Amino acid sequence: MDPRVISRFRRNRGALAGAALVSFVLLLGLVGPWIAPHPPAKQFRTELLEQGLPVGPLEREGHLLGGDQLGRDQLSRLLHGARLSISIALLATAIAVFIGVSVGLVSGYLGGFVDGALMRLVDIVLSLPFLLIAIVAQKSLDASGVLFISTLLGVLSWTSLARITRAKTMQARALEYVEAARALGFRGPRILFRHVLPNVAGPAFAIGTLMVANMILAESALSFLGFGLQPPAASWGSMLSESQTLMEWQPTLTLFPALLIVITVFGFNLLGEGLRDVFDARL
Amino acid sequence: MSRYILRRAAFGFLVTWLVFTTVFFLMNGLGDPAAAVLGANAQESQIRQFKEQKGLDRPLHEQYLSYLGLIPCVRRDSPAWSDDPGARKHCGILQGDLGESYIHHDSVTRVIGHRLPRTLLLGVMAMVVELVFGIGAGIFAGLRPGTTGDRAVMFGTYLGTSLPTYVTGPLALLVFAYLLGWFPVGGYGATPLEHIQHGILPALVLGIGGTAVYARVMRGEVIESMRQEYVRTARAKGVPEGRVILAHGIRNSLLPAVTMIGLSLPGLVSGAIITEKIFAWPGLGALTIEAINALDAPMVLAVTLLFAVMVQIGNLLADVGVALMDPRIQY
Repeated sequence: MDPRVISRFRRNRGALAGAALVSFVLLLGLVGPWIAPHPPAKQFRTELLEQGLPVGPLEREGHLLGGDQLGRDQLSRLLHGARLSISIALLATAIAVFIGVSVGLVSGYLGGFVDGALMRLVDIVLSLPFLLIAIVAQKSLDASGVLFISTLLGVLSWTSLARITRAKTMQARALEYVEAARALGFRGPRILFRHVLPNVAGPAFAIGTLMVANMILAESALSFLGFGLQPPAASWGSMLSESQTLMEWQPTLTLFPALLIVITVFGFNLLGEGLRDVFDARL
Repeated sequence: MSRYILRRAAFGFLVTWLVFTTVFFLMNGLGDPAAAVLGANAQESQIRQFKEQKGLDRPLHEQYLSYLGLIPCVRRDSPAWSDDPGARKHCGILQGDLGESYIHHDSVTRVIGHRLPRTLLLGVMAMVVELVFGIGAGIFAGLRPGTTGDRAVMFGTYLGTSLPTYVTGPLALLVFAYLLGWFPVGGYGATPLEHIQHGILPALVLGIGGTAVYARVMRGEVIESMRQEYVRTARAKGVPEGRVILAHGIRNSLLPAVTMIGLSLPGLVSGAIITEKIFAWPGLGALTIEAINALDAPMVLAVTLLFAVMVQIGNLLADVGVALMDPRIQY
């Protein structure tokens, strides 16, 4: 990698802070289910419920953060939720990046009619009422697995990447060594992958990082409204939604998933903004 | 310019139609509305009657065309229906008829007309929050780039875009409604004054994200325009600093913020879906969720149409606004 990029990154304090938060969150998602003390759906009705209300943090031994409205161990649910929320966000981002970069590369490289058609497609997807379409699609296709939710989110949010990839591709196409490659008789695919893609990769990575933050938000929003992962699966958004009625009695049930969502989103946003400056990925 | 607007509007219609058609066929996969509306104990005959009344016994493409208003009505409970096939009138979107809600037993347009002003009130209040705080903070930071004040604002904007309404909403309720008791715990109130009182907290919550965005854009613009030659010229002429800032710096920075208003319109409405749920605000968002869960197809379709049209109008306003205000842009 270009040493200038690395040194620019090192000097960007926001990006470094973001990278630290992101590492923490990714680690949580990786090891969370392994270090969780209990299964996420196991109920401890006698231990963690008092007259139907959950007990709070530090009130019971072996249940550091107390229980939820069904007597399930809160800490275990948060840790299991970490993997679910983060895998959905990462998978959805991967899908969006794949579609966005492909569309952008083809569009920017070929130009002309293909470019026009693909950019109209971008306009269309961009002006879909995201949340509404996602809700209706989730409900009517009646699927709520990790794969389905990720695909749904990915398919609806690749547009910004397509635009920036297209712009970067058009810039790269005019570079001398790309022209040289063309003059040497290399064909489209080779030029695209060997010469154009490396120019696009950095900005795409930056936008992708920002996108993870948005995916976390979108997944939690869907879960919050009851159209995401279905119970008893624990994602941070669904935990937030389930705890709302208990707000007055046990605010920590809301506080912890909220905090984790905010840390995750904040981390990915900081890192993404930093990377965007580093890679100069603004439109 | 007018050709450009026309082309944009035509594209808007196309997208609206696409969204509508997608949702129409998706809704059909949602399950049997008859069973959902009439309950599990409904008789076979009741279900058959319901389907006939709503035209659900007809082939899907007929329902679709009838809904658009391209073929005569297939719904027996519509005033346009007649037992004589030759005398049936149209009862679709083209005729301004969006059908009757399965659960509200009232025309969809009337129910929406009842709910829309509430969501708009929330949206307008949130927009006021965004503009006042966002532009204020942006100007504040933009006039002193690199200082502690600027850094604090920028940090705030990062935080603001990372705080979703379903996190800030419950927290705001907890702190300001339950613990401090400054605001009502949710709902809508009975009088106009109460509507506003009940709306303050949700509007603040709904406006946080937008505030951060406006602040960032404004800051960038203010920094940019304070660097311009005409600012230096004004200062050299001896124009008082306050006037330099107001008439030269800020005035030219407001343009992008104004165009962003159009773009933020759909976000406010869809953001309202979540905010309304948190604060039990009986607006369009709550109506949407309820309709989807109850398989109330006419209602879902009508709301979809409304959302799609709003997005298109917002985009159009933003594009046209840019073109009108920036003389360098020509179409």
